[in-house]
Amino acid sequence: MNSNLIWLVALPLIGSAVAAIVVRYKFLDRLITFLTFATTLFVLFSVHVGQSYSWGLNFLGTTLNLTLNVSHLSIFMLYISIAFGTVLTFYSLIDHSRMKGFLLLLILAANNWIFMSNDMVGFFFAWELMGWASVVSVLGGREREKSRHAALYYMIMSVSGSYSMFFGIFTLWRLTGTFSISANIAYLSSIVGIHPWWVLGIVSLFFVTFMIKAGIFPFHTWVPLAYAYSPDAFTPFLSAVMSKYGIYGMLLFMPLSLMERGFPSAFGGVPWTNYIFVWIGVITAVLGTVLAIFQDDVKKLFAYSSLSNLGYVVAAIALFTPVGITAGIFHAFNHLLFKGTLFITLLAVISRSGTSKLSEMGGLWKKMPITFFTFFVGIASAAGIPPFNGFGSKWLIYQAMIKQHLPFATILLFLASTGAFMYLFKAFHSIFLGQLSHDYDRVKEVSAVGKITEFFLMFAMTFFGVQPGYILKPIGAIVKSMGLKPLPVMANGYVTGMFSNIYVPLISWSLAVSFTLGFILFFVSAKHKYVSQENNYTAGQIPEDWGLTPETYQFSWNFYQPVEKLFAPFFRIKIDGFFRGTGDWTKTIGSAIKEIFVGNAQMYAFFAIVGLIIFVIAGWMA
Amino acid sequence: MTILLKLIQGIGVGALSIAVGLLFIGIGRKITARIQRRYGPPPIQNFFDIFKLLSKRSISHGFAFDLGLIAGFSALLAAVVFLPMGQINIFPHNSSLIMIIYLMTMAYLGMAMGVSSSGNPNATIGIARALTMMMGYEVPFAAVIFSVYIFSRTGSLANIVAAQSGGFLNWNLVRLPFGFVAAEIALQGMLGEKPFDMTIAPSEIASGPMVEMGGKYLGFGMLQHSIGLFIETGIMVDLFLGGASNIWIFIAKQFVLYFAALMINAIMPRFRIEEGVSFMWKFPLLLGVVQALIVVL
Amino acid sequence: MSQSQWSELVNYFRGRSMWMLHYCTGCGAIELPPVMTSRWDMERFGIIPMATPRQADILLITGYLSIKTLKRVVYTYDQMSTPKWVLGFGSCTINGGIYWDSYNVIDRLDKYIPVDIYIAGCMPRPEAIMDSFIKLREMVQKGEAKGYEKYTKNYEWYKANQDHVFGRSEPVLRKAEEVTKSA
Repeated sequence: MNSNLIWLVALPLIGSAVAAIVVRYKFLDRLITFLTFATTLFVLFSVHVGQSYSWGLNFLGTTLNLTLNVSHLSIFMLYISIAFGTVLTFYSLIDHSRMKGFLLLLILAANNWIFMSNDMVGFFFAWELMGWASVVSVLGGREREKSRHAALYYMIMSVSGSYSMFFGIFTLWRLTGTFSISANIAYLSSIVGIHPWWVLGIVSLFFVTFMIKAGIFPFHTWVPLAYAYSPDAFTPFLSAVMSKYGIYGMLLFMPLSLMERGFPSAFGGVPWTNYIFVWIGVITAVLGTVLAIFQDDVKKLFAYSSLSNLGYVVAAIALFTPVGITAGIFHAFNHLLFKGTLFITLLAVISRSGTSKLSEMGGLWKKMPITFFTFFVGIASAAGIPPFNGFGSKWLIYQAMIKQHLPFATILLFLASTGAFMYLFKAFHSIFLGQLSHDYDRVKEVSAVGKITEFFLMFAMTFFGVQPGYILKPIGAIVKSMGLKPLPVMANGYVTGMFSNIYVPLISWSLAVSFTLGFILFFVSAKHKYVSQENNYTAGQIPEDWGLTPETYQFSWNFYQPVEKLFAPFFRIKIDGFFRGTGDWTKTIGSAIKEIFVGNAQMYAFFAIVGLIIFVIAGWMA
Repeated sequence: MTILLKLIQGIGVGALSIAVGLLFIGIGRKITARIQRRYGPPPIQNFFDIFKLLSKRSISHGFAFDLGLIAGFSALLAAVVFLPMGQINIFPHNSSLIMIIYLMTMAYLGMAMGVSSSGNPNATIGIARALTMMMGYEVPFAAVIFSVYIFSRTGSLANIVAAQSGGFLNWNLVRLPFGFVAAEIALQGMLGEKPFDMTIAPSEIASGPMVEMGGKYLGFGMLQHSIGLFIETGIMVDLFLGGASNIWIFIAKQFVLYFAALMINAIMPRFRIEEGVSFMWKFPLLLGVVQALIVVL
Repeated sequence: MSQSQWSELVNYFRGRSMWMLHYCTGCGAIELPPVMTSRWDMERFGIIPMATPRQADILLITGYLSIKTLKRVVYTYDQMSTPKWVLGFGSCTINGGIYWDSYNVIDRLDKYIPVDIYIAGCMPRPEAIMDSFIKLREMVQKGEAKGYEKYTKNYEWYKANQDHVFGRSEPVLRKAEEVTKSA
């Protein structure tokens, strides 16, 4: 028996219990969290593909087999999530936000279980554990009232997702009599040719859950709230790791249904179910981008950015071609790395400046140079600029889309990419560039732990940008395990055999040479002298006579006003109709929920009974 | 040995692109002057300007300012070596168009970082305008390049050129006429010529991004503009005008495209920024979409 | 290549490419459009108008300077990078012109910033401006236009003159808070 698999789940649980005891001492809590993450990573080294572990559980007279199974996909996801978690918890040692380490460890336990589980009961249980732990984690942001609201909203979405999955699981159980995921997927694959609509229905139940967790288009509304108002130290994990659970679920269920030839093709040989799914991804990407452009809260901006990036991932994996799957997983990894980095740098900036409003910051690069460079590399990655890590996956996504002859989806993705450049620069400028306000004269760079983390993340982003082969190889194994032909990837990032080839190290060499030349030219040219930020072109006006302050000479409010004008007709529909509608709806639901908790006992009993009835019906149907 | 050879070739191509770009701008100034019934500067005026700028003292607002301007210049220099131009094609198997476009994005990011770190709001307004305009012209241009991708069944510029060999009638200009018109309008925006020159409006926002740049910084900006001009027209030549059999024909074709842009530039007023973007999303995008439809169906 | 040859070469290029910032305070600004446009076309000498002092080599001052304006001119001049040259345009910059006895207009520009060439006349015609450009080019190429070096060398003198005249632009009445304080 491979008991190390059990340890992957048990260790975080034990750590969580210990951390919960000492939760009053923040540093101790964080230290235990970090050590548990590191130990789990260490345990993970002993885990190999193909290991499995199962034990029986006697439940209402039937024996339930809980199975853990390590596939290529799960080990990849485990590595990237735990490694990122380790980096984040290392950074969180110096953090002061109200994130609870033991909740993060609960999520880690759920994380490992989700990625390894091969039975739907365990999967569902772990999913619920993750959902509830994250809902509680969202509480305790800087603005209490707002974070409570965000947590409530997130909880409602999460619970409705769980119901959906619950129905899906029991429907499947009734059909096959087993909870094993692989057996059920095999079953669905075998009937997809005969009853495509049935399969579509069942899989949709699961996909709703996954789309909610990943925040894909119709279910994206919780994302900006939860991201913006969760504790600053928790947001990196939420964005980088937890949004990938949805992607993992989609990949798990993807091979069986939407894509098999049960449905007629739409354009470019893509079954129309997939085609619709591609468009859902594209809409998510564009919507996230456009909304991100107008945000003033930096965490909200990057929340919409995460939305947009997950739209890319979904659009790519929905193609279900080797290139598409590779590109999708690769982009999921890249998003984990660069968005995690961006949120960690934001954590540094917010903890130092005390605000997350873009219009209140500015000029911090002089004060926090290392954070500035980390952020720079992060946005360069997010914008898909070589030689950093976001480039390869974006390039592959375009290749995948074009290979299926989907020009319009690709055009919109390209629009999203250009828009991404816009909002990334907006954030970059408003935080780090421009005029430094006198309020921030005493802002300091993060301490040594933060610097080490930032250097490491910068290195990682550059390394995986220059040597994408190290990630593309395991992804190739995943693609192979899905029964597709993996992409021909050479050792260090020579991607070939598609519309065009790239050899990423070559780009890096070219950049290295040209930067050397640039620096040489710069230093042989005439000398320059450094001036202060007050010494600025002001059309001849003298700043002190004019009463000019850094705040008034900083451009960060209404940054993209022309674009706003351009999108004004669309906003009238969206903001006035859709979002107010959602807002009202949330309020109604919120007050209803409040009724449950603070209302009289009758009300509580009523809801309990309704819940029970739903449970019983599900059981009866099964 | 081959590495050394490629290195020398790459530097040579970089120098060539700078020289050709500067010469183009100089000739462009002369032509614009003639359209306006002036005598105009000598065509090599921009070489004088560059030399003067690099030898003039300047001020800087810190290392981000320096680094940004260097990045703006260097990233384009790195991009130009991947462009197939006539018989000069240093990396024949690595000329993915999207890669070149994303490399150029690095230059824009560097430039934007540099000028914004100066803390002058005029510069940032200029950058915000440039990025907005970029969103405008990249969409029709994306429509065109993806149409060409699907049509030629390849995304590598070298192969796109190869697919157009065999005379004028095989050029994408003839085969994909709508796409060509759309790309030509997008090129006008890319080059920042009128009516899309709101980025560098001198009287509204004090020449926008260049407001705090003097001496070598302005020189770097000028070099960046000249290489950008070379790459952008070069991409168009490779996409639509069938590449070239040797470098001189290639440059001649580039000049034809630049000449057309100049003519429009000389007689046009300036769009407001949102007008510019919505223009790009109406007419050229429509043409691009029509072209993509024709290609796909 | 020796030092002097190199500087000769640099001076040659500088003379061929002079970018101008025109500080148009007075009526003389109206003479500039013909200089720039097709009648006289200064671009054939490589002279083009620029938007900010950072980019410019020539500061062209057209007409009279009140004390308030002078303050802006000095600030702008300080923001320009060397090498930089100043052209004083019209008799106002030479001796005050018709404002010679005005209480708030300066008489001679080169008491405050070094002027390389004066263009006499009220108004000087565009030909005169073109002539001054040619003259300035010759001076630059011979290495004679060294106004900015004079400014650094005699900075105390210029600064004293500037401060003296700027002192006159202080408000005559005391500031409100000082009045209340003394009361």
